[in-house]
Amino acid sequence: MSPHTDDVALSTTAERAAVVQAAGAQPDKDWVIVTRGLKREYDMGGEIVRALRGVDLAIRRNEYVAIMGPSGSGKSTFMNLIGCLDTPNAGEYWLSGELVSQKNDDELARVRNKEIGFVFQTFNLLPRASALHNVELPLVYAGIGSAERKERAMEALTKVQLDNRATHRPNELSGGQRQRVAIARALVNRPSILLADEPTGNLDSTTSEEIMKVFENLAETGQTVIMVTHEPDIAAHARRVVVLRDGLIASDERKENFTSKLGL
Amino acid sequence: MRITDLLSVAFGEIRANKLRSFFTLLGIIVSVAFLVAVVAIIQGMNAYVKENLAGAIVGTNAFQVRRSPIQIGLYDDEEMKRVARRPRINATDAAAVRLAIPDAQAIGLTTGFPTPRSDIAWRNREVGDILVFGVTPPYQEVQDYRFDAGGPLTETDLEQRRSVVVLGHEVAEKLFESVSPIGQDVRLGSEHFEVIGVVAAKGQVLGQSFDSFALIPFSRYEMLYGRRLTTTISVKMRDAKDVDNAMLRAEEAMRVAHHLRPGQENNFSLETAAALVNFWKQLTAVLFSVIPAVVAIGIVVGGIVIMNIMLMSVSERTREIGIRKAVGARSRDIERQFLAESVALAILGGLLGVVGGWAFAELVASVSPLPARITGWSVILAVTLGATVGVVFGVYPARRAARLDPITALRAE
Ligand SMILES: Nc1ncnc2c1ncn2[C@@H]1O[C@H](COP(=O)(O)OP(=O)(O)OP(=O)(O)O)[C@@H](O)[C@H]1O
Ligand SMILES: [Mg+2]
Repeated sequence: MSPHTDDVALSTTAERAAVVQAAGAQPDKDWVIVTRGLKREYDMGGEIVRALRGVDLAIRRNEYVAIMGPSGSGKSTFMNLIGCLDTPNAGEYWLSGELVSQKNDDELARVRNKEIGFVFQTFNLLPRASALHNVELPLVYAGIGSAERKERAMEALTKVQLDNRATHRPNELSGGQRQRVAIARALVNRPSILLADEPTGNLDSTTSEEIMKVFENLAETGQTVIMVTHEPDIAAHARRVVVLRDGLIASDERKENFTSKLGL
Repeated sequence: MRITDLLSVAFGEIRANKLRSFFTLLGIIVSVAFLVAVVAIIQGMNAYVKENLAGAIVGTNAFQVRRSPIQIGLYDDEEMKRVARRPRINATDAAAVRLAIPDAQAIGLTTGFPTPRSDIAWRNREVGDILVFGVTPPYQEVQDYRFDAGGPLTETDLEQRRSVVVLGHEVAEKLFESVSPIGQDVRLGSEHFEVIGVVAAKGQVLGQSFDSFALIPFSRYEMLYGRRLTTTISVKMRDAKDVDNAMLRAEEAMRVAHHLRPGQENNFSLETAAALVNFWKQLTAVLFSVIPAVVAIGIVVGGIVIMNIMLMSVSERTREIGIRKAVGARSRDIERQFLAESVALAILGGLLGVVGGWAFAELVASVSPLPARITGWSVILAVTLGATVGVVFGVYPARRAARLDPITALRAE
């Protein structure tokens, strides 16, 4: 994806409301994510836990969105749904104009592979594989040949300044370096959205700043980024902050200082 | 996911868990090794019997007309008695056979059962317990004897009942060592004989030597030991394809000579090297029918071990499965990955088994007279067996792995 910062502006409240309310309608491709009445419930032996109770959200390409909210408000549940790791009990989920909530397992696997880059709090790297091989992994499942894979994985590692650690295994890397490997892996297949669920949750504050810089740079070059965080100063990096509370969106604010930075 | 990637993951896992993989495979390795070793030894013996033993007793492209069949051992009493009632085979029978097969390359007579065992002496040296046969010269042709020294018994020796002897390789070696045996005077019992030839070695089977004999002219033998109970007629054809037809004619001639009516059973035996080999094969067939059962049990147990270890591996690697699924692996990719691993594992076990079995067979061959012969098919069998076991016992764990849903798998410890 080439950067689109010039021709696609941040979404306004009115635009978002319009997209979200047109139930069943296929949104324009520029709306990378549209959820309408998204619900996720867990059956805990008779007792139903309502983790998400109908989330309506629209995110335009190139947006950098922070998702906040108290513990247990459903942030991770929501990220897993839009990351296609989990499926909703009810509601619509459109990703790049495609109705993902109706896809079967194999199609979802393809979406995870091609459209989504996911960065986890716990890194989730293969412990025995080198940094390079970890980054290659999505390309393996994309059926790409070894030579091209290595080249693209190196490219992605270079983007996160880890090309000099390609042969290291995760346990030979610092926490910040591991997370950068995970970011490189998330980016290697050029996904339309980059999702991160508390990516700095396991890192100290200096390292967190480094990682946030990486996300910021990516957002600057036009990568759509959606990130869950507890830290207000980390959320401050984002241009839009969505707050969840009890499985519902409590607020959705656009940060004016960023629009001015973009010259709007 | 490409096949090369599948294999590299599979072998990566096996390499990362060498010791565990080895123990996982022990059942398969031992079973296949056992199969390969036993088959190798039996096949080696088969080949040996065919090439050496059968040839040594009957000769190639040859058959014998005998009073009793060669395959003594697996008879019941009834049959034993029937054989004991058979008339002996004499010069008249031999003449009839000779007449019936004018196209034979050679027809020889040997003095038959019981063959005397005797001591042979030269100067002050003695070799005990050798087989003494009275033969007509063509017998030596039937047997394809090659001579280390001197030459065969001749028709003149036969006609003049000369006291001459042809010795087996082993006898000559023990008796004379470095001295040239030809022309030496040896004693068989109390009789003096002149050595005129030494037959080249034929080797031994199961420790039984075929080179420990002395041949003297048929006529001289009868003077010495009296007329024996029976005579064995050995017929050699120029070509293997003529053997069957010649046997039919010999049978017909013998039936006429023995005045048998149609429907009456033969009261003599026709033996070929093939018959001897068949008898041996019957014996080994019994073994062959027991081995697969033993191996099958080993393989099934080995397969269950593989299944267990794979199930363990799946639960240990649940998080890895989650990670792979999160970055785009389909269920079928995961299933194939684990299946590839169990198949690779089982094939590896099969191959190690072949190597182990081969080594064991070689060891047996080197410390005992049992020969060993590894055949291509045992390798193919081991690999096919391995692959089958890998698939059969790998499917369930692989399915379990594939069924995991990404988010649950990622949450696993
Ligand atoms: N697998 C599950 N089974 C049962 N209940 C679950 C499961 N996952 C989440 N929940 C429940 O759903 C609700 C939302 O959980 P979620 O993990 O989305 O919260 P969160 O906002 O990410 O919290 P945190 O900030 O602590 O990570 C919680 O009440 C949680 O107990
Ligand atoms: Mg969470």
